[in-house]
Formats: sequence, structure tokens, C-alpha cells
Amino acid sequence: MSATLNTTPARRLPVPPRRRTARWFVITAAVLAVVVGLHVVAVRQTQFSLVQLVTGWHGIWAFLFGDPKTAGALPPDLSWKIVGPGLGACVVTFSMGLLGTTFSIPFALLLALLGSRTTSRNAVVYQLARGLMSFLRSVPALVWGLIYVTAVGLGPFPGVLAIITHNTGVMGKLWSEAMEETDRGPLEALHSAGASSAQTATHAVLPSVIPQFTSLFLYRVDVNVRDALTLGVVGAGGIGFYITQAIQEFQFNVMMTYVLLVMVMVIALDLLSAWLRGRIAR
Amino acid sequence: MTSLTTSPALSVRGLTKRFGDRVVLEGFDLDVQAGEVVSVLGANGSGKSTMLRCLSGLTKFDGGSVNVAGRQVRSGERVPEFAMVFQKIHLVPELSALENVCAGALGRLSFWQAWAPRAFPTDVREEAMGCLDRVGLAERAHDRARRLSGGQQQRVAVARALCQRAGVLLADEPVSSLDPAAAEQVMRLLRSLADDDGMAVAAVLHQPDLARRHSDRVVGLTGGRITLNIPPSALTDADVDALYAPDYAAEGGFS
Repeated sequence: MSATLNTTPARRLPVPPRRRTARWFVITAAVLAVVVGLHVVAVRQTQFSLVQLVTGWHGIWAFLFGDPKTAGALPPDLSWKIVGPGLGACVVTFSMGLLGTTFSIPFALLLALLGSRTTSRNAVVYQLARGLMSFLRSVPALVWGLIYVTAVGLGPFPGVLAIITHNTGVMGKLWSEAMEETDRGPLEALHSAGASSAQTATHAVLPSVIPQFTSLFLYRVDVNVRDALTLGVVGAGGIGFYITQAIQEFQFNVMMTYVLLVMVMVIALDLLSAWLRGRIAR
Repeated sequence: MTSLTTSPALSVRGLTKRFGDRVVLEGFDLDVQAGEVVSVLGANGSGKSTMLRCLSGLTKFDGGSVNVAGRQVRSGERVPEFAMVFQKIHLVPELSALENVCAGALGRLSFWQAWAPRAFPTDVREEAMGCLDRVGLAERAHDRARRLSGGQQQRVAVARALCQRAGVLLADEPVSSLDPAAAEQVMRLLRSLADDDGMAVAAVLHQPDLARRHSDRVVGLTGGRITLNIPPSALTDADVDALYAPDYAAEGGFS
């Protein structure tokens, strides 16, 4: 039994109505109209069409199960002469992503320190660093790749350079934001103890954000390996290049094998990175 | 040992601080002798914390004079004689207790003498061990600060102040975030720093009871002015009610 105690419930009071002004209705209607309008424009611009998807079913069927001229994606070709080189190409793609991330650490760290309010005193330097980071990350790795290919030729090396360049901007921004969000208390404590701003950076700010830095780094390795894949398509080698080649030769069963390898690699990397980040957070 | 005939370790005269049109401190006077613990009581917004921040150089003041160990301190100047202890403790959570204590010495080291928390010179590390031992935490030297309890963290923060070799300890609500047992231990530590090491301690407190039991003098602040400056034994409940009246008014509704 419960509620055997003789307490009187609090007396009831009418709930005062929540006030909604005419202005609230106008704003809500306006926001809705803008969102719907944007989507109408976007559907037209992209020629988005469910009809086309349905009427093209035989193309999808031919891709999946083949037609008299070509092999379909199913079943994938799992012979070792395909899987073996495919694994090798995955190693290349992973290496591009890894090097692109680790080699961008010094540049990202420098820009993050200069472009974070907690560690940067000079407004001009701060704005320059922020501007450079914005520029580096607003140009996609794919575009950097095309630029470096014209400079140093085809292969994984321009791919690594492309990832270093783009990732410096992205990781620098993420790191500088991590530093700006950190508790300013320890910084103030060391400042009051007579530490200079360079000393507060190395003794209070950086040690406080090491877990976030590591976690963001692992996340970027994950993303950059996937970027390395798309860089392969524009000539940077690795598994991305193999996939393009298979499609161009209409060997869809071979392509499917490579896609499966990529899937395994990306999921494995994702799990590993999430597990490591979880360990750091504890 | 210090003698009572010397000038006070800390001497404040006519300290004034304004934020825009709002006067936060007006004509604030305070003397703290070496070996003395002075508690500062007052409602929220009475200027207690601002007063400590003005002394330690974290905030600039608009008027008055601050003398420490016979030397005048300019507004906004950070002098090694003042060490601060905070309500929110403000250790670097990812660093070890020892590395946090070493950081107290940064003011007298060049950047390259200690370019990273792991790179303090041996003599500083040994002095920091001594400071940790002074607060009873030598055996936790290599534990990360975030692994320590609130009370232990605050004692590490006190050790950091000791490693700074400060003569005056400014404590801003040092026990407000601690449980009663830890608060008692930290207050006893502050008391013993005054008694045994001859430090001058000025502590902003929110607990009149702790002020009564651990300090030599109680200073009351109301609206940025001193309204009380008495020995703790003379502090009456009526005094306390008067000091905290603005808080009751601000909370409103329920009394």
C-alpha cells in the first residue's frame, strides 16, 4: 500500500495562459514560408524526380545483376586476385589519411594558438590566423588535390599534401574553439600568480584541452581517410582510384568488392576511433 | 618570527572601485598583520570579491592605496607577495597535483626554464613537494588534480600559493563549494598558515560560523563600505542579519 499518510494535496490554481502575441504568429508564418520556398527552389534546381527514379529501374537492375554485355555488382568478385590488390590499395588510402592528419599537427597547433582568444593577445595576428584557417578549410581537399596534382604529378603524395592543407584549416579551427571553450579559471589563477601569457598557454590552456585535442585528432583521422578515398578518384591512387577504374571498365562485380573493402575499413576505423575517444573521455 | 611592532603585512587605504557609474567599493580600509586571519563578510554584490581581485591585480582599482610588506602596489600590478585561492579552486584538472603546485613558481621563472608542466627545474619540483607535504598531500603528488576530492583540490591550490612564496594569502570564498568536513579542514589549514608560518590571511567567507571560529577579526562590507570591524567574539546574530539583509531582499517572496 502507498499513500496512507493523511496529507492534503495543495489547492488547485488555474494555470495562467501562455501569452502568444500577433507578432509571434507573423514570425512563425514567415519562417515556415521561407523554409518551404527554399525547398521548392531546391527541388527545381536539382531536377529531383521520383518518376525518373522509378522509370530507370532497368538501369539499376542491370547494374546490380548484369546484362548480356557486363557483369553485375552482385555477386561481388571475391577472388584473391581482386581482394589482394584491393587490400593493398586500402593501406595506401589509410596511409594518406593518417599522414595528412599527423603532418598537419604542427601547423594546426600554431594557427590554433594564434587564432584563439584565450592564447592570442594581438587582434591583428588573431584575425590573420582565423582568416587563414577559414581559407584553408573552405577549399575542399579534393580541390587542393587537383592543384597539387598539377604541381607534383599523380599519385598518393599530392593526396597527402592536399589533406595536410585542408586539415590544417579544419583541425586548427576545432582546436582553437576547444581552447576558447575551456574554463578560464586556471588561466586566471596562474595569471594572478604572476605567469606570463605564454606561460598560461603552456601550463593552463594546453594541458586542459589535451583530451579534446586527442579526441578531435582521432575524429579527423577518420574523416581524412574518407577524404583520401575521394582523392583517389582524381588520381591520388589508393582504393578510390581502383573503384573509378572498375566503373570505367564496367566491371561492377569488381567495383562491389572494393566498395565492401572500403566499408569494412571505414567501419573498423570508426569503431576504433570511437572506442579510443570513449577511453579518453573517462 | 614576525613581531607585532612591524608595519602590517597588508595595508589598504581608501580603496575605490567603480564599474561605469556603479560604485562597488568606496573608501575601503584594511590592515592585516603577519600571522593574522581576517574574515570578510557581506551579502552578494557587497564588493568582497572585487576587493580581493583589486588587491591581486586581476582588476584595476580607481583610487586609494595598497601597501604590501611596506611597498606600494600600483593598480593592476601583480605582485608575488599576493597569492590567491578561489571558490572554484581553479587547478588545471588534467595535470598532477605536483605540476599544479609548481605552477605557483611561474612568476619567478622565465618561459624556457619551465616551457611545459613536465619541464620544471628540480629545485622547484622539490620545493613544490615540500608545499604539498605542508598541506598533507605529499603522497598524492602524481595524482591528476581531477581525481582528488574537492577539499584535497583546495589544499593543492593552497600549496600552489605557498610555492609562490607569498606573504599574503587572499582567499575568495575558499570553502563555499566544499562539504562541511572538508571546509573545516581547509579553514584549519589557513589558520595554521597564519599561526605557524606567519602568513597574513584575508578570506572572504559566506559562513559567519567559520568566521567566528577561525579568524582573529571580522570585517563586514555593505554596499562597498566597511560597516563592521570587530573581533569574532563580538559578532552578534543581529550583525550577521544586517550584513546579509540585501540578500534576503534580493531573493524576495519567501521569508
